[in-house]
Amino acid sequence: MSQLSEEQLDQIVAVERSRAQEPLNEWRTIAARAREEGLIRQEIGQRWSGQPWMQAAAAVLLLVGGIAIGRTTLGLPTANQTQAAAATTATSTSRPAAATQTDAPTGFNFASVDEASTALDRAVREYQTASQYLAANNISVRTRDSAAIYTARAAALDKIVNATESALQTAPHDPVINQYYLATMGARAATEQLVARPVALRGF
Amino acid sequence: MPFDQLDLKRAIAGDERAMQRLWSQHAPHIDAVVRRLCGDPELAADISQEVWMQIFRALPSYRGDSQFGTWAHRIAVNRTLNALRKIRRIAKLEIEIEDDSAITENDSDRTFVAESIDQAMGKLSPGARAVFVLHDVEGYTHTEIGEELGITPGGSKSQLFKARAKLRKLLAHLVDESSTVAGKGNGHVAAL
Repeated sequence: MSQLSEEQLDQIVAVERSRAQEPLNEWRTIAARAREEGLIRQEIGQRWSGQPWMQAAAAVLLLVGGIAIGRTTLGLPTANQTQAAAATTATSTSRPAAATQTDAPTGFNFASVDEASTALDRAVREYQTASQYLAANNISVRTRDSAAIYTARAAALDKIVNATESALQTAPHDPVINQYYLATMGARAATEQLVARPVALRGF
Repeated sequence: MPFDQLDLKRAIAGDERAMQRLWSQHAPHIDAVVRRLCGDPELAADISQEVWMQIFRALPSYRGDSQFGTWAHRIAVNRTLNALRKIRRIAKLEIEIEDDSAITENDSDRTFVAESIDQAMGKLSPGARAVFVLHDVEGYTHTEIGEELGITPGGSKSQLFKARAKLRKLLAHLVDESSTVAGKGNGHVAAL
């Protein structure tokens, strides 16, 4: 009976080694098993977007973070500096209600979840209104081309995303870390949009 | 698309898209070793599912000390060999399986050489098959194979020698019938 030489067998093995093979299963089969075992979780966005308090918290963080980063990178006064300046120039009778509330101590004690949610909703509305006002009236910001600033901001946000994702591995259900994660992802997406916009359309 | 650290973190967090990217990138290689070790395509598909579940379960323990593919490959080999041991233990209780009763796949897309290799490997004893696949195809050393299979490196060499001798006979028709095979349009065999 004839047989291959060692070299001929090696050649056949080499052919076998390099032979492209299709996966044995389809992804949906694997995914179904993984879902059964709880290895696949709901989309993070879906998981949290259904919770109004989380939406509100994320929106607040997004706005606060965006404003703070924007002011810092554009060389505008920070919130503390603004408050200090305001304290020296404004009288208590001329200050709007919102400004008075922001001066309240940070160690709020809420009596109920509803009360805290209401406060968050109110804060969201106020920040949205303030942002719109700034966007419409702050000429110095609109006239500056800030592509480099936005790019730097995006890079910084990437680092924050990585940090919060690492933290989520340790505490995947921690609401505070999830808030930061969501807010950062939102700010990252918004920054990407700003970078992609024509210069004339860039605003705060 | 390369599977980067961010995707890895997302997969660990249960992000389906990240997990799918991981699977898409590595399934061809991982599934190939499972298929070669098993022989039976249906059994290989079942074991492959278990392999991938184990990879996903173990993701948090991946520290990046080696390439992800290498790490996953180890899991695939371990899991497959364990599954085969379990199946053989059950089979021994039920029926004595003949060496040459391997199931072969009738898939018109596959080449004649590939089918011949699969059929020939199916005629090897399970131990010899595992040693041959791990050493000659997957590039494991005899020491590594010994650790995987619980045998000595010398035992691994002995099994490989027997496997190669048997395969040289079982695949001889690829050369004997080279003119006929070449007529089937397979360039690999003509090159032999």
